[in-house]
Amino acid sequence: MPTTTAVPDLRDGPDRRTVLAAFAAAAALGGAAVPLVAYRADAATTPAPDDHAGHGATPAAADDTAGPVAAQPEHAWCMVIDLRYCDGCKSCTKACQKRHSLRPEQTWIQVFEMEDERGGSFHMPRPCMMCEDPPCLKVCPVGATIRTDEGLVLVDTDTCVGSRACMAACPYEARYFNWREPRPPVDLGMPNTPQMPVARRGTVGKCVLCADRLPLGELPACVEACPMGVLWVGDLVADVAVNTQGASVVLSQFLADNDAVRFKEELGTHPRVWYILGHGQKLQGA
Amino acid sequence: MSTVTTGTVTTETVRATSLRALRRPGAGWWVVVLVLSAVVALGVYAWTVQLRRGMGAAGFNDQAFWAADIADVIALIGVSYGGAVVSAVLRLTGATWRAPLTRIAEGAAVCTVLVGMALIVPHIGNPVRLYELVTHPNTSAPVFWDFIAVSTYGFASVAFFAMPLIPDSAALLAADDGRLGRFRTALYRRIARGWTGAPRQHHVLGKALTLVSVMIIPLAVSVHSVLAWAFATTSRPWWHESIWAPQFVVAALYSGVALVILVVAGFRSGYGLQQWITPRHFVRLGFLMAALGAGYVYFTFADILPGAYVGENAVSTVFADLLVGRMAGWFWLFVVGGAVIPLLLVAIPATRTTAGMVVAASFVVPMLWLKRYLMVVTPANHDVVTGGHGAYHLTWVRASITLAAVAAVPLLLMLLFRVVPILSVDEIEEVELEERRTLTQALAALRAAGEPRVSSPAARTVGAGLAVLLLAGAFGVLGVGRAAPAQAAQAPKGPRIELAGTQTDGLVHLKASVKDAKGAPAAAGTVTFSVMTTVFGPRAVPLGSVPVTKGVAEMVLDGAHSGGYRPTQVGPTEFTASYAAQVGDTPLERSVDVDVTAAVSAYTPAAPKPLEGVGAVTPTVLFAVVGAVWVTLLTTVARVLLVSRRRVVRRVPATEPATAGRPTTQSA
Repeated sequence: MPTTTAVPDLRDGPDRRTVLAAFAAAAALGGAAVPLVAYRADAATTPAPDDHAGHGATPAAADDTAGPVAAQPEHAWCMVIDLRYCDGCKSCTKACQKRHSLRPEQTWIQVFEMEDERGGSFHMPRPCMMCEDPPCLKVCPVGATIRTDEGLVLVDTDTCVGSRACMAACPYEARYFNWREPRPPVDLGMPNTPQMPVARRGTVGKCVLCADRLPLGELPACVEACPMGVLWVGDLVADVAVNTQGASVVLSQFLADNDAVRFKEELGTHPRVWYILGHGQKLQGA
Repeated sequence: MSTVTTGTVTTETVRATSLRALRRPGAGWWVVVLVLSAVVALGVYAWTVQLRRGMGAAGFNDQAFWAADIADVIALIGVSYGGAVVSAVLRLTGATWRAPLTRIAEGAAVCTVLVGMALIVPHIGNPVRLYELVTHPNTSAPVFWDFIAVSTYGFASVAFFAMPLIPDSAALLAADDGRLGRFRTALYRRIARGWTGAPRQHHVLGKALTLVSVMIIPLAVSVHSVLAWAFATTSRPWWHESIWAPQFVVAALYSGVALVILVVAGFRSGYGLQQWITPRHFVRLGFLMAALGAGYVYFTFADILPGAYVGENAVSTVFADLLVGRMAGWFWLFVVGGAVIPLLLVAIPATRTTAGMVVAASFVVPMLWLKRYLMVVTPANHDVVTGGHGAYHLTWVRASITLAAVAAVPLLLMLLFRVVPILSVDEIEEVELEERRTLTQALAALRAAGEPRVSSPAARTVGAGLAVLLLAGAFGVLGVGRAAPAQAAQAPKGPRIELAGTQTDGLVHLKASVKDAKGAPAAAGTVTFSVMTTVFGPRAVPLGSVPVTKGVAEMVLDGAHSGGYRPTQVGPTEFTASYAAQVGDTPLERSVDVDVTAAVSAYTPAAPKPLEGVGAVTPTVLFAVVGAVWVTLLTTVARVLLVSRRRVVRRVPATEPATAGRPTTQSA
């Protein structure tokens, strides 16, 4: 054997045949994995709307101008916050913290004191915006953040690994981590569910719009506690919103009549919380 | 090309040096190992404290949810890039001076990437659930792809480090003078297997190393890009920047070369490798570092300028914090210590020495950690609702974990090089051989009155570049009631009201007939129509008031005449009419159930995002790319293992393999 061949040619490129063969094999593998991936990708986004086809809400003869009503869930929960009447008493925050056994710094609904254009200030309660396209949902590495077909963005504290990627992604600072041992929960005789989560150390928590109460026709704790009738809870499907001052309104008309706006509309998150301004307030992210 | 050593200068063969380095260590080695172990032990203890008390013990809070933990991971995985540069890039560009550095550089790469991966564990709030990344992944999450990219890169680094150990083990076994020790002899026999140095074995190994070199560069690019995208795919000011991924890559290269300088300097003096690693090596690495440093300065400037120039509220607040605000001291410390001083040390001829380069590198590594810390903490602190900021307070718990990681790298390296030869024996011998051949050819060519010919590495570089572009491109796509029974209407004395609901053309008509106390059609007053909803308990939602004319008030529920309301659900729906002759009168109420057959949900879902479809396909494409990478890596490793397997057929006792088929450089 000649010695020259004993030395590998370091200047050779990679073995083209090996690379091509490997890529072909991997492409085949990848192809086989498509259904699996498609399933996961689907699970990570909004649940398929046709889950609810055939539901009682489906009209037999839908108005054809209305689009596919059949593909819609029974409810689409939302909130309206009337900043004209908020005096910053923080009853909402306290009621929420009591109901969910939160530590004082965990303000699932937080009342921010904001500056208005004339240098004065106004109060702005901020719950979870329950975005229709929630940035927090996409970035969770283990899919612990879920979005129900009724539009509630919830956290499964039995799955959360505590990466805090959702805290980075939320444009509304609406997520709170259990940095220390949480307070013992009030015993509601229920297991831990995303709708009524039990805080666990090392997991994230956020406003759930009292998802356990809504199906029963009850109001979220914050809405119930608001003495000024600032907080409204609504259903976009049924087109109603109510507050604790006994008022009930046709939601779409209420929003239109009061020029309601959403916070950081430009981000395309489609929040399901509307704000009603009226005293020189501006809603502008920082 | 310059030479590593020439025949005349060489006083010790590479095999002899490598064997010498494996001998019983001195007291100094033990002291250093003990101190480093103590620091690591303290870090592990601090982590147990964090596990017991929660992550708050490490200084985190809701406005500093990511901080030193992520800076550590980025910095450590970043410095592992040095190994990739020195070994892979210099191999592909045919820079033969790399040969004595590759083993140390690759060892540093493997150790730092392993420590960097380990640091993800204390970063996570619930480490026991990390297995969910495999069993329960969300393929649209950047953090999930971090995990994929880091583990792929980690495997490639280990393979790149381990494959050349096969010929090296064989070479050391052949050169052993009996002082290798039982453990290492047994281990090297296992590793060397059937390596005889046969041409085919050399050929396969050479191809494998070249292929992994080509792959490890885009893999490293992918790791640092995906790390950057964990930040850039949020809407947070300063994180949401397209330049972050390339900037992370350049930062990793810069700090990686600096780490190689430090590690090489440490082992050079500790193991007496001056004969192999000369001041020229340090100067060359220094030039490489300076070029990357200049690039990094440019990237930093390009990162900050547009946001600061436009002056959007959020971004300019963060940059004000960074440049003139509460973080300014640290930022300008980075500029001076991480850019100006190292670049000057390389630029000034008087300081362009081994010591000068070591000083420069020891500025770069910690300063680049500081820069990553600022990049993580400043935007994390920023409150995106109010524009204010929180703060991160580094506690002893987190500081200990960080220091433990810093100490773990040299500790692992020192332990590693108790087992593994510190020089890449085979590669150095090959380069020597190559150079001798080149020299012979050059002399022959000179003798034939021709210019020495230099072969161009252009084609190889273009090939590697294309591979980088393809993979980077693939990653770049990522981007991405029913009515409740009403209260029975009161039938009062006095005025009476009747309510009828009918449907025509899919529209509900409500008609209230009001009679006064005498039974005649009422002539005045208004009727308020409501719909009953049970969504939030039974409630009447007013739809509007209609004046009574000739005893009748009518409302068509078409939206326009009914306060914006149209029936939203099919099925029995209760409507109410209440009549008051005058303001202040107790209203008369009457309800009717209408079996609504045509309903319009008031809710219209948001239109899908333009790139939603692309986002759904991207994970599939990425999985295919990652699959291809793994198949290629595993095939390559398998080929090397296959070609060096022990053959039962003939001769070659495992004790004296590597001498066959190749000239040795052993001096007499």
